[in-house]
Amino acid sequence: MEEKKMSNLKVLLNGLLKENPTFVLLLGMCPTLGTTSSAMNGLSMGLATTFVLICSNIVISAVKKLIPDLVRIPAYIVIIATFVTVVQLCMEAYTPALYASLGLYIPLIVVNCIVLGRAESFAAKNGVVASAFDGIGIGLGFTWALALLGACRELLGSGKLFGVTLMPEEYGSLIFILAPGAFIVLGYLIAIVNKLRKA
Amino acid sequence: MENSLYVSPSPHIHSGDSISKNMYGVLIALIPAFLVSLYYFGLGALIVTLISVVSCVLFEYLIQKFLMKKEPTICDGSAILTGVLLAFNLPSNLPFWIIMIGALAAIGIGKMTFGGLGNNIFNPALVGRVFLLISFPAQMTTWPLVDATSAFPLTYTDAQTGATVLSLLNEGVAELPSHMDLLAGCRGGSLGEVSAIALLLGFAYMLWKKIITWHVPVTIIVTVFAFTGIMHLVNPAEYASPFIHVLSGGLMLGAIFMATDYVTSPMTKKGQILYAVGIGLLTAIIRLFGSYPEGMSFAILIMNALTPLINAYVKPKHFGEK
Amino acid sequence: MLLSLTGICVVAGAVLAAVNNLTAGSIVASKAAALETAIKAVTPEFNNKPSEESYMVATPEGDSLRIYPAKMDGQFVGAAVESFSKKGFSGEIKVIVGFDTEGKLCNYSVLQHAETPGLGAKMQEWFRTDKNKQSIIGRKLDTNGLKVTKDGGDVDAITAATISSRAFLDAVNRAYSAYAGTDAVGGATSSK
Repeated sequence: MEEKKMSNLKVLLNGLLKENPTFVLLLGMCPTLGTTSSAMNGLSMGLATTFVLICSNIVISAVKKLIPDLVRIPAYIVIIATFVTVVQLCMEAYTPALYASLGLYIPLIVVNCIVLGRAESFAAKNGVVASAFDGIGIGLGFTWALALLGACRELLGSGKLFGVTLMPEEYGSLIFILAPGAFIVLGYLIAIVNKLRKA
Repeated sequence: MENSLYVSPSPHIHSGDSISKNMYGVLIALIPAFLVSLYYFGLGALIVTLISVVSCVLFEYLIQKFLMKKEPTICDGSAILTGVLLAFNLPSNLPFWIIMIGALAAIGIGKMTFGGLGNNIFNPALVGRVFLLISFPAQMTTWPLVDATSAFPLTYTDAQTGATVLSLLNEGVAELPSHMDLLAGCRGGSLGEVSAIALLLGFAYMLWKKIITWHVPVTIIVTVFAFTGIMHLVNPAEYASPFIHVLSGGLMLGAIFMATDYVTSPMTKKGQILYAVGIGLLTAIIRLFGSYPEGMSFAILIMNALTPLINAYVKPKHFGEK
Repeated sequence: MLLSLTGICVVAGAVLAAVNNLTAGSIVASKAAALETAIKAVTPEFNNKPSEESYMVATPEGDSLRIYPAKMDGQFVGAAVESFSKKGFSGEIKVIVGFDTEGKLCNYSVLQHAETPGLGAKMQEWFRTDKNKQSIIGRKLDTNGLKVTKDGGDVDAITAATISSRAFLDAVNRAYSAYAGTDAVGGATSSK
């Protein structure tokens, strides 16, 4: 990666659009498709991932000199897994309803390509501050993508947006709440975002 | 092509075949089934078919004109055919807005997203049907009851509803209609699937006009018959007779009119037989062991997806090649 | 190499231990609160602690279900029964069903299911909606159990979701057969 000389602001914006993990890098598709059955779920999953991403980016960039190359992947995984478990425990304790709907996917953040990918390609090569900004940028890029996907699916599937009914539920097409709808909506969103990006 | 010096590869003799000629040929073949559905479902069948055809043509026109910015080609009959086939796969008491969503899914997602006629991987009408089946399962699986004594009933969404033969089987209810009823079409079901005789009549017409060959439909029916027959022999109490399976549900309609779609089925005879065996096996497996009562549309879509692979492995022989 | 990896693991372990320590109490409390709410929603009013007095009961069919007795000033007023069914469309269905002393169904709550959204998933609302023969609230159960109309019973199944409806009623009937086995029905107050 060539971000070495980028300003922090640029690093931040980079993740939001130019290297948006969902629409451009197409990383972390499993939670993207699995958790976005509603806008709220998408947003929460995005924020949980953002938290893990920021923490792991900061810690990894801080301790990168101490980790020998040979064991860097196991070391990164242990660090990432620690933060994921912290998120999971906190969620279970303080937001049980959210945990009930997302619980299955939280541990999967550990193996989310985005987190390990940023650790490997950015945090391992850059300073703590830049890595923190990268974590925020990529994390929020992931978050808005998931929230948008969740919002589209929730609206089309059940006529609601963040739980607020906008049209009668019987007019919703269930397919959008189910797995095939996730693929269909994601496909069209990627097409639209890429069209806008190139325009 | 404006270029008068355009050179194309052989053959140069034109048989008079064209997209629209074939499409209208298929439409003619669907007439007997349509008449039967008018007889049993009456006004509802007419309304559903009209809405489906009009919305398919309309969506095709709008997408081509405004999104793809191409000259609309709605006159080639392919959108009309998609509309009719979609309608034939729907219950005749379906509310109009659901039919329109189905038409949008069929044309928009199934056909235009891939680039229009000739580029679509999946049969558009089936994409529309499966989209609706998953989206509105309650409305898509409550069928108007048919009454053999009243021709052309004037009911639409207010029709009395009941279950289909296959959903009865799936839920383990014993009373089934007779084989004769199944042949003639006196049973609950989607518009176009009820009468096996009418569909076979259309099949004969298409064979006569050389619109399709016998390979795909016959292979599908034989495969389903053989598989369900073996299961029936093993355990007659658990699995229904192969006659019921072949005559019920969308098997005939799918085998004759949907699986034979030019764009989405393999090119060679060998490939077509492979493809048809796949459809037959998947249909039988979904019906016997799956949680959905009807597997035809899923089976065709899955084999549609495998068609490029079949085409790549079962290549036509070059002329003169040993 | 060994040292750094060990170091990271030790630190990670310490962090996790600390967080676990911090959240363990809340997790237990929130789980207990969820159970308490579920019991409260399905049984007649009580003032004991059913979750602490719960016990297991075997049904004649050989299943073992957990029963939460509800008592008002020491007087047995009914119970919540945690029941399940494996006949669902996809996966196990877990419900909690409340009965009063006469064997009348007070209320129910679906704890866990994986039925199709828009179809079987409607059971949480469907069987308490007072329309046609949908509602099972207030029905007095007997050993015959509840059945959907299609099977000759008198409960309307969820439209186009007969299998889920059957599974749900199967869970409810199982709950009743466990409850009946406690001889709490008919005013007898022995709860153990």
